Amino acid sequence: MKKWLLVALGAVVAGAAAVMAQGGGNLVYNSQASDPAPRKFDEEQVALFKKAYPGINFTHNTVDIEGFKTAIRTYLASDNPPDVLTWYAGNRMRAFAERGLAADIGDVWNKNGWTKTFPKGMQELSKSDGKFVFVPTNYYWWAMYYRKDLFAKLGLKEAQTWTQLLTLCDKLNAAGVTPMVTGSKFLWPLGGWFDFLNMRVNGPKFHFDVTDGKIPYTDARVRKVFTYWKQLMDRKCFNSDSASLDWHEAAALMTANEPKGGMFLIGDFVRDQWKDGLEKTQLDFFRFPIIDSKIPVGEEAPTDGYFLPAKAKNLENAKLFLGFIGSKEQMEKGVKELGRLAPRSDVDASLYASKPQIAKAQATIIGKADAIAQFYDRDTDPEMANIGMKGFQEFMSNPAQLDNILKRLEVARKRIFQ
Amino acid sequence: MVQAPVRTVNRQQRAFNQFITIMSFLGVPLLLYTVWVIYPTFQTLLLSTTDWDGLSDTWNSVGFANFERLWSEEPFRKSIVNNIIWIIVFITIPPAAGLGLAMVLNTDVKFDRFLKIAYYLPLVLATVVTALVWAQGIYNPRSGLLNTFLSLFIGNKAFEIQWLGDPNLAIFSVIAAAVWRQVGYVMILYLAGLKTVDQEVLEAAKMDGAEGWTLFRYMVFPMLAPVTTIVVVISVIDSLRSFDMVNIMTRGNPFDSSNVLANYMYLSFEDYRMGYAASIAVVLFAISLIFIFLYLREVMKQEES
Repeated sequence: MKKWLLVALGAVVAGAAAVMAQGGGNLVYNSQASDPAPRKFDEEQVALFKKAYPGINFTHNTVDIEGFKTAIRTYLASDNPPDVLTWYAGNRMRAFAERGLAADIGDVWNKNGWTKTFPKGMQELSKSDGKFVFVPTNYYWWAMYYRKDLFAKLGLKEAQTWTQLLTLCDKLNAAGVTPMVTGSKFLWPLGGWFDFLNMRVNGPKFHFDVTDGKIPYTDARVRKVFTYWKQLMDRKCFNSDSASLDWHEAAALMTANEPKGGMFLIGDFVRDQWKDGLEKTQLDFFRFPIIDSKIPVGEEAPTDGYFLPAKAKNLENAKLFLGFIGSKEQMEKGVKELGRLAPRSDVDASLYASKPQIAKAQATIIGKADAIAQFYDRDTDPEMANIGMKGFQEFMSNPAQLDNILKRLEVARKRIFQ
Repeated sequence: MVQAPVRTVNRQQRAFNQFITIMSFLGVPLLLYTVWVIYPTFQTLLLSTTDWDGLSDTWNSVGFANFERLWSEEPFRKSIVNNIIWIIVFITIPPAAGLGLAMVLNTDVKFDRFLKIAYYLPLVLATVVTALVWAQGIYNPRSGLLNTFLSLFIGNKAFEIQWLGDPNLAIFSVIAAAVWRQVGYVMILYLAGLKTVDQEVLEAAKMDGAEGWTLFRYMVFPMLAPVTTIVVVISVIDSLRSFDMVNIMTRGNPFDSSNVLANYMYLSFEDYRMGYAASIAVVLFAISLIFIFLYLREVMKQEES
């Protein structure tokens, strides 16, 4: 009799434990993965998580990437925010964390042993005031992307130096192709130009001082950056309609069968714009050319990831989800399917080797960098970023206004970083 | 002696009954209006004197610093100028075109019903749809209808025209799309107005030999004066409200050359500048108030007569 009872009790406990392991309650996850390839990957990950925790009532919302940047503030200000959000490392994350809007997720980091499996730099990037508030899940690189087949046809080579880049411009122009395309309708692609030129001309340390608001925009060294930019404009390196296009439309000039554009300074996500595997024969990239070989080399490698709003209602489930998303398996899946770099140091190296673009980026860009920047609009204050990039856009349309533009940026910098 | 207090009670009773009747009709709308319009209006006034960033828990008062800064910032000046350009275009072109169309369609032209619908149709479309169609289908420099059409005359040079990307053109391109939408609206207002014009007076004028332009200038147009006032005021208010076309077609770009106050306010929200954005809202509200006052006065005058 007693034995029977014990068995029954054991069965009940075991059953309860099984239910516990599968989770319960709700979990709301809002994601900005609205471009086709990241969206597919995002949905697969959610499906896997749901399978592992069928007890959790999971709500997954995908929000348009530009709209998400605005909507996230409404989420965070509300008393009932989503439990998990995608976001960017750097100033963008710190802006929320410093206002107490991000949950402390040190326990997730400790429980999963991430302090041993993420490199120090990534750990620092995930902290605010010494507390972990962010989980980086992938990063990618910016580079000068170009049409491999077009370069081959014209006998052009990747530019290592500034002079070689200028020569490329002339040769592509002579061939009737716009040398470099960009699309500044949403401003941000121009941030990359400023970042790279500033890091190449003045070095990454100076660049970080600029984005931290410590250097006046009217400083002669900042002004010098624009003289290099102007050299490209004087040679008609850019498409004249850049202000009318967004980055997809600019990329379309390069993906066309008969390319209208030769190069594009952009992040590796541009790869997704090529369809049917054509990128294998058409797309390649090289490191942004060196301008002064005595200066340390800074590169752009923006890091994306996740955080939990401080007011999230289902923190425990959200932390389960973070643990899942940050796991070695999921990161390796990300490398395989999205072709991005994983911020964990224990990711299977053969995976990287199997992706030629990752191998190349590691060998020629990331691996050789002395410093890594996130991106202009992630490294500096959001308002400064907008005013700054508007200034870059005006400069590209009317370079004679440079001094007025820099004065205006300086007024803004003084006010914002007072 | 005995009757007096009874009468007072009756009067009080009547006043109370009247109050109940009024409140039973007005109560719910008034409550909603207070919660959703009056309260936020005062809240915005208060907000405009703070530096709230949209995320912090506290509002720090900064007095009138936001307003002082408004005048020193170029995007604000450009936005005001663009709003004024918008008003000027809106009180001239759509009323003139709308009135012209109404005059023509009020006569027995063929297919007048079809034409009326055709001109009114843009207004039925969501503004967002209109803006996207114009931005992508018409103004796109490489594949848009406009440049493709122009290339028939001036060749490939046409594809270099940046309707929305050229800082000198952008605001006018946006306004042109808005005008396209507005003309049909004004036409309908005038068509309705023309129906109220006393035909006997017109007949009398014709008997006296007035016809064509003279008839229009000295008879029809003066009789349409109340409609014209309302059309102008509505056009001004619509100009000040302009936001959706700008936000979708250019977001105020390139570098604020096509920005308007409402969009500048919205972009300031995005920049975590709630207090500053509120001060833009207050300025916009103050300007609008003048015209709304004029509009209401005109409407009330008409209702009285």
